[in-house]
Amino acid sequence: MNRVQNTKLVLWLMTGFAAAIALNRYVFGLGVTTNLNDKTPWGFWIGFDVMAGVALAAGGFVTTAIFYIMKREEFHPLVRPAVLTAFLGYLAVVAGLLVDLGLPWNIWHMIIYWNPHSPLFEVGWCVMLYTTVLLLEFSPVPLEESSRYARVRNFLMRFRFPLVLLGIMLSTLHQSSLGTLFLIMPYRLFPLWYSHILPIQFFISAVALGLMMVAFESLISHWLYRREPETPLVGKLCGAAVWVLAVYFIVKMTDIVAAGKFGLIFNGNWQSDLFIVEILVSTLIPMALFAVPKLRRNSKVQWVGSSMVVIGMVLNRIDVGGLAMLDSTASYTPSWMEIAISLGIVSAAALAFLFVTERFHIWEIRPEDPQSLPHTPPSFDYSSRTWLGVPRIASLTKHTLAFVLSFAVGMAFMPGRKLHAEGIDSVTVSRATGIDTLCIDGNRDDQFVEFPHQAHISWIRTHKIPTSPADDTSGFALAGKDSCSVCHHLNLPGERLSECWECHASMYAQADFFRHDWHASPAGAKLKCDDCHTAGVTRTAQSAKKCTACHPFYKFTTIGVGATPAYHILSYTDAMHKMCVSCHVVEAKVVKDKQDLALCTTCHRVGTPPNLRAGMKWDISVPHFDNVVLPDVGLSVK
Amino acid sequence: MSKAILTDVTKCIGCLKCVSACKVAHNLEMDVPRVWDKNDGLSAENWTSVIRKDGDRYVRKQCRHCLEPACASVCPVGALHKTEIGAVTYDSAKCLGCRYCMMACPFGIPRYDWDKTVPHVEKCILCYDRIRIGEQPACTQACPTGATMFGDRDELLKVAHRRINENPSKYIKRVWGEHEVGGTSVLYLSDIDLDFLTYPTRPNGAALPKETAAAMESVPYAFVGMGGVMLGLSWIIRRRMKMDKEQGKKKEPSDE
Repeated sequence: MNRVQNTKLVLWLMTGFAAAIALNRYVFGLGVTTNLNDKTPWGFWIGFDVMAGVALAAGGFVTTAIFYIMKREEFHPLVRPAVLTAFLGYLAVVAGLLVDLGLPWNIWHMIIYWNPHSPLFEVGWCVMLYTTVLLLEFSPVPLEESSRYARVRNFLMRFRFPLVLLGIMLSTLHQSSLGTLFLIMPYRLFPLWYSHILPIQFFISAVALGLMMVAFESLISHWLYRREPETPLVGKLCGAAVWVLAVYFIVKMTDIVAAGKFGLIFNGNWQSDLFIVEILVSTLIPMALFAVPKLRRNSKVQWVGSSMVVIGMVLNRIDVGGLAMLDSTASYTPSWMEIAISLGIVSAAALAFLFVTERFHIWEIRPEDPQSLPHTPPSFDYSSRTWLGVPRIASLTKHTLAFVLSFAVGMAFMPGRKLHAEGIDSVTVSRATGIDTLCIDGNRDDQFVEFPHQAHISWIRTHKIPTSPADDTSGFALAGKDSCSVCHHLNLPGERLSECWECHASMYAQADFFRHDWHASPAGAKLKCDDCHTAGVTRTAQSAKKCTACHPFYKFTTIGVGATPAYHILSYTDAMHKMCVSCHVVEAKVVKDKQDLALCTTCHRVGTPPNLRAGMKWDISVPHFDNVVLPDVGLSVK
Repeated sequence: MSKAILTDVTKCIGCLKCVSACKVAHNLEMDVPRVWDKNDGLSAENWTSVIRKDGDRYVRKQCRHCLEPACASVCPVGALHKTEIGAVTYDSAKCLGCRYCMMACPFGIPRYDWDKTVPHVEKCILCYDRIRIGEQPACTQACPTGATMFGDRDELLKVAHRRINENPSKYIKRVWGEHEVGGTSVLYLSDIDLDFLTYPTRPNGAALPKETAAAMESVPYAFVGMGGVMLGLSWIIRRRMKMDKEQGKKKEPSDE
């Protein structure tokens, strides 16, 4: 029975790991845990957890239809495990949705806010109702354990046939409606997958997948618990699957040929390759295998065939759900965190399945509980030879440890940089056309301004005080190669860049740009206090030397409101005006038919009195700021 | 009366005042480039953007406010809603974050707060609060050249066609947004091809919600139909089994 225990250990490990990642997803949001983006807002979680999950749980309605409607009594051993799988499968789907939804606590909104036009609304309602139906269908099983609940159980059993019928009807709707979801995006889905009969294709493939999932599950539990194999029954399922797969293949191919898309299959691009692989794995190869009666009664072939259908159909749902994109610029590969959470949800569902099968009457012959056997050997830790308690306690200890350890590993594995940078990409910088300056996105809202980057850094590049006017290239420069950190705050989280207004801080007054710390720093100018300040006098700006004493060729600000020859840089308004206005004034003289270029009112339009509009020329001394947007607080000055 | 915006690409100088005004009007934060951004300048903090094209052409991108919006038709809780005045508005209190609207939009407009723990869908709402009280949207108000303007959709369409007729050599003879996906409330006049604003193979004409309408209308029939088929099947099989049993009973005495 070690096989069961080891499997559980692995499942607990995956669950613990996923729990840690899920915690991070709720704390830090979708952006840092997934690779989802504005081009591919749906990804692995929708494709695998939701769409494939619902399809995988189709075994429930298929089996109940075979047993209760078609009265094939021989399938009785498969009904309970199939309904249980379906129930847990739908719970897993809901869990997957709760991870994927941006606002999962609003999931109940579908009950009160209705939009019947939406296929998702219909899917949501069907899933809600069907999960309830499955719960009611399954609950007689645990209730039969005690005679105390006999009345409740009898009451439920009376409604079993209507419940089964309702379950089949609801399944028909939402299995197909999952295909309807994609009908509205013909421009998004690759044509080989897009089809107007996608809902029908989804339904047929769900039936095939449901049959194969029941078979697959029987095979796994047979392996896991070393049960008597149900080979002849599974063989019958495989035989039925041949017909369903054949119908699926014919419907799909007819549709592709009728729509004139047949040539796309052999296009040779990755989408066409993917399509061929998908069709081969999900349909053609298993169909060929199971079509031979001798082969489909062989349990090894059953293994191969059923797992191929399961993998192939899951691939189909993932393809439709976001992988097979038409837009070649959209790039999405699921992040490892997305896959880890999905695996964790599946593991948790599998653990729940094992828990229920070991405690309730799911199979005709209940698996032997290893821990209840009187002769199980005592459990020791292999390395330390410590007795771990009675077997039940020992396995509990091991599983808890597995969960806790993998949870810790999961927390440790979170990429810290990604968390803190919150997905910040590098700042957009490009060269301005025709000018030897950079165009930077000053406040990162796509408002590019010409930014004399070199001038900002070049002065005293070599740590030398300029001795001739030729050395001095610009009036506004920072302190050479050390100056990077002034704007590129490498010490700040997220490597945020200073925005223009952080230095050109005041709207109208000029800002102080003197960097005292750099001048005093041993790594900078290496000046002692007395080098600038007069010794013995209180050290203030007034008691210090003028800048020009050391930087004789420094060009001081000469434009702007209250321009003073001091260590000042332009105000924001002046800096911005200099960028636009200086050019406008020059151009107005050149371009004869656009004299308005130099008018204030060309840019400042709103609110300017009409009598002023006509004659206003650029005059720096007149504050005219209608409709000017302040960069730092985002207010419009009127 | 349905309101609309008409943007004349030939008049736009790319000053981005519309972008700036939009940020102020909707209290949007300073934008930080993110790995999940598309390259069209739109983001959760930029509801409109200006795309630069060759030949100093600037094309403003924003929500197109379709007459039959795909986003509103797919939203399971109706958080997106086409108002009578023309704006497609978003109710963040209803939203559950399924992002189906982002998948369905033929222009790829809605953006998501991927970096937030409580994320919402972000898109232009045609300044619904302003146009409802008779003002015009912030972007059209801020435009210094009149490249983008606000008004009744019918009147703007007339203006657009008049401009094309008066200057047939200047414009491409087409008003973008007049017929695409059933018509949109944001119209474009241009001298360059604007098909890059939408996904490549969008079949022109029909509104997207029509694609799902047939499937959605057949839902009740499928529901009842499947129930009927199953009930019928069950009845036939039961009856056959019963007859088999009766025949078996009848046969039994004869066999004796």
